[in-house]
Amino acid sequence: MSEARYIYCIANRDEEKTFGRIGLEKSPVYTIPWKEICVVVHDCVSSPYQSEDQETVRSWLVSHERVIETAWEHFGNVLPLGFDTIVKPDEENDAPENIKKWLMNDYKKLKQKFKKLEGKAEFGVQVFWYPQAIAQKLMETHQQLRNLNKEIQSKPPGMAYLYKQKLDTILRNQMEKEAQRYFEKFYKQIDEKVEEVKVEKVKKSEDEKQMIMNLSCLSPSENSKDLGDDLEKIDKKKEFSVRFTGPWPPYSFVQ
Amino acid sequence: MEPVRNTNATLVDLLDRILDKGVVINADVMISVAGIPLIGVSLRAALAGMETMRQYGLMEDWDEQTRNREKWRRDKGLDTSKPYRGKSAYPR
Repeated sequence: MSEARYIYCIANRDEEKTFGRIGLEKSPVYTIPWKEICVVVHDCVSSPYQSEDQETVRSWLVSHERVIETAWEHFGNVLPLGFDTIVKPDEENDAPENIKKWLMNDYKKLKQKFKKLEGKAEFGVQVFWYPQAIAQKLMETHQQLRNLNKEIQSKPPGMAYLYKQKLDTILRNQMEKEAQRYFEKFYKQIDEKVEEVKVEKVKKSEDEKQMIMNLSCLSPSENSKDLGDDLEKIDKKKEFSVRFTGPWPPYSFVQ
Repeated sequence: MEPVRNTNATLVDLLDRILDKGVVINADVMISVAGIPLIGVSLRAALAGMETMRQYGLMEDWDEQTRNREKWRRDKGLDTSKPYRGKSAYPR
C-alpha cells in the first residue's frame, strides 16, 4: 500500500536517521542514504496529496516545512523540495531504488548546490510604499505638477476637470518613475549585502500599502544582521515599510 | 531589524516558496500533481483570514476534525480531491 516515497529534502550527509512521526498526517519520517548524501522521506501511497479543504492543505504545508526545518537543524545543509514531490515504484524498481537512480543521475549537480549553499540561508525582503504619501510629496516637489495644481484653482469647473485629468496622468507617470527609481536604489543597496538576489513578482496587498519590490536573498546566516540594519533604515522612512522574513531553507536557490 | 519567522505571520511567504520552488526531479517515476490548482490562488487568498481566526481559537476543533477525516479517507483509499459531503461514516 505505502509503496511510494514523499520527499521533503536532500541532506549533505550519509546518515541513516529516523525523525519520528513529524511528517504529513503524522507519518514517520526517515532518511534514505546514498553515497555521501541522503533524502528525507516518508512512506505513502502512489497518489498525490490533494484536497479542496483549505485547512487540510494548510496543515500539510506547515508539516512539510516543519520536517525540512527539523532536518535543516540536524544536518546543517539541506536542499528543500517543493510540496507533494512523490516518487513511485515502476515495473523494474521499488521507490527507494528509483530515488537512488535519480540521485545517481543528478549527483554532481546536487553536490555543487550543497557547496554553494553551505552555511547560507534564504531571506525574504519585500518593500512597500504608501502611494498617497508618495503622491503628496510629488505634488509638493515636482515643478510641473505644482504649477498645474495651482492653475486648477483659478479655472472654471469645466476647465478644472480637464486640468485635473492632465494632472492625474502626469502624476501616474511620475509615480511609475519613482517606483522604478526606488527599486533600483534599494536593489543596489541590498545586493551589496547578500550573496545572491532573485527578483520575485510583486503582489497585491490589502491595505493602503503597495508592494514595489519582492526579493529572495541568499546570505550567510550570520550576515542577516547587516542586511537587517539596512532594511531598518528604509523601514524608518515614512513613505516606506519593509517586510523581512527568514531564515528560510534555500527554496529559491536550488533549481 | 530582525527577520520574522513564525508560522502564523509568514504562511503566505511559505506558500510562495513551497508551492513554486525547491529541487525538481526530472524522472518519469514522479507522481504528477494534477491537484496543484486546488492549492493555488484561492488558498493563498483565504489563508490570511484563516490565520486570524485560528489565532482566536475559533477553528481549532474543526481543524483537528478535518485533518482526522482526511486522513481516514486517504487511508481508505477514497478520493480526497473532492470535498467530503456524505453523512458521517467517519468515526469520531
